[in-house]
Amino acid sequence: MVDHTVKAYDKELEILDRRIAEMGGIAEKMVIDAMDALAGADAGLAHQVIATDPRLDALQREIEELAVLTIARRQPMAIDLREIIGAIRVAGDLERVGDLAKNIAKRSIKIGIEARVPRAIVGLKHMNDVATELMKDVLDAYAQRDVERARAVWERDIELDALEDSVFRDLLTHMMEDPRNISFCAHLLFCSKNIERIGDHATNIAETVFYLVTGETLPAERPKGRHEYDAKPPGSDNS
Amino acid sequence: MNETAEKRVIRMSSDNAQVKTPAAPAVAARDKVVIKNLNFYYGGSKALKDVTLSLREKKVTAFIGPSGCGKSTLLRVLNRMYDLYPNQRAEGQVLLDGEDVLAPDLDLNLLRARVGMVFQKPTPFPMSIYDNIAFGIRLYEKLPKSELDERVESALRRSALWDEVKDKLSASGLSLSGGQQQRLCIARTVAISPEVILFDEPCSALDPISTAKVEELIDELSDDYTIAIVTHSMQQAARVSQFTAFMYLGEMLEFDDTNKVFTSPRDKRTQDYITGRFG
Repeated sequence: MVDHTVKAYDKELEILDRRIAEMGGIAEKMVIDAMDALAGADAGLAHQVIATDPRLDALQREIEELAVLTIARRQPMAIDLREIIGAIRVAGDLERVGDLAKNIAKRSIKIGIEARVPRAIVGLKHMNDVATELMKDVLDAYAQRDVERARAVWERDIELDALEDSVFRDLLTHMMEDPRNISFCAHLLFCSKNIERIGDHATNIAETVFYLVTGETLPAERPKGRHEYDAKPPGSDNS
Repeated sequence: MNETAEKRVIRMSSDNAQVKTPAAPAVAARDKVVIKNLNFYYGGSKALKDVTLSLREKKVTAFIGPSGCGKSTLLRVLNRMYDLYPNQRAEGQVLLDGEDVLAPDLDLNLLRARVGMVFQKPTPFPMSIYDNIAFGIRLYEKLPKSELDERVESALRRSALWDEVKDKLSASGLSLSGGQQQRLCIARTVAISPEVILFDEPCSALDPISTAKVEELIDELSDDYTIAIVTHSMQQAARVSQFTAFMYLGEMLEFDDTNKVFTSPRDKRTQDYITGRFG
């Protein structure tokens, strides 16, 4: 795109962009590390994830301040306005992703030695892989202002929802097999919810990218595959 | 105050407090002025190229674009201002309520009574505040003094100037501040009950407070008049108008809902202009 006549304006937008990229990198790593900490019962790594979160919060505040200042100073229009509103929204989503990763890290510490059924974590790991991929894709889509890539993320969130469903059944089975698994599996249930929410934030960012580039909004209804929680224990349904 | 959430919701929804967005549904509005394939020449040079658009009735249409793009020229065509100068001519069609504005035999005084204009610099006549307004009315109508008084008062009220000048109507129009002078000019225009009011950068010589007053006025006037405004302030165009036309080098490049133009314009050149990226 052509530069602004006022160079400092370009500079401000560029800084905004760079801060978002930084937030994206941190959030993505937090999500990966949190799952590694959970799977490997690695308390050290978990504490590291928790310690990173304030950095993400600080970046979000910085982005918001800069965005507000730029609005006040430049009265942005059209694409510039959408860029700035987009940055505020994406920063909010990334900050939440950080919180969710932090929450998983905290639970991994709590579960710690209790980790009784390693195979229960396999489904979660798979979920996390998909969530991480969605995050990576959507951040690339944001960096490249790539509408098609954003739309692909938006459409793929359905996978995560389906996975969450199967993890739910899985954990339910473990809990029924042995009541001593309940506390551990309950923690994992929350973790799977957190991962599912990370996917939702990736979808939000995809919607923001779409709006930012086109000025239009994606349809209100996302493709959905789900999904009343099936409260019945798996296998009890004979039909 | 001990109001339950439920009660608060009921109260708020019954308040009917709707935000008056400038670009409220404009679909129903009728075309007041229709411009078709308009070309305009200053001697040999062409200042407007094939401009086609309509001013919707009782709406505000803003014209934006860099200097020399033809927006003021377009305004000057709408009330045949250019007729005062030799070598300037317009070709094409301009219809006011279906009547050809460009027709050579048109009564220009009548046209200019129907299509009033407010200029960039306030231009009060060197006479009393009262006479500044009565002057125009007297040109078109013979009214008894009491009725004339009423018309002057109502024009000043409509222009939000009455409270500031009611005790000094015989003072010179030139004694007023710049912002007041501009509102006096608006009052003068309104006094002869036009149908269309053209504003040519009405706020470029005014401070922010006077600017806000004039914008508020434009908003109110659009209840009764069809308004066209040329402005160099994008923010002003976004604030006061329901439709925006972007002009460049004599052409009309984009004409759309104001909300659309300032959030996601169709034409790249419009976007470059309103975001400050123009060469």
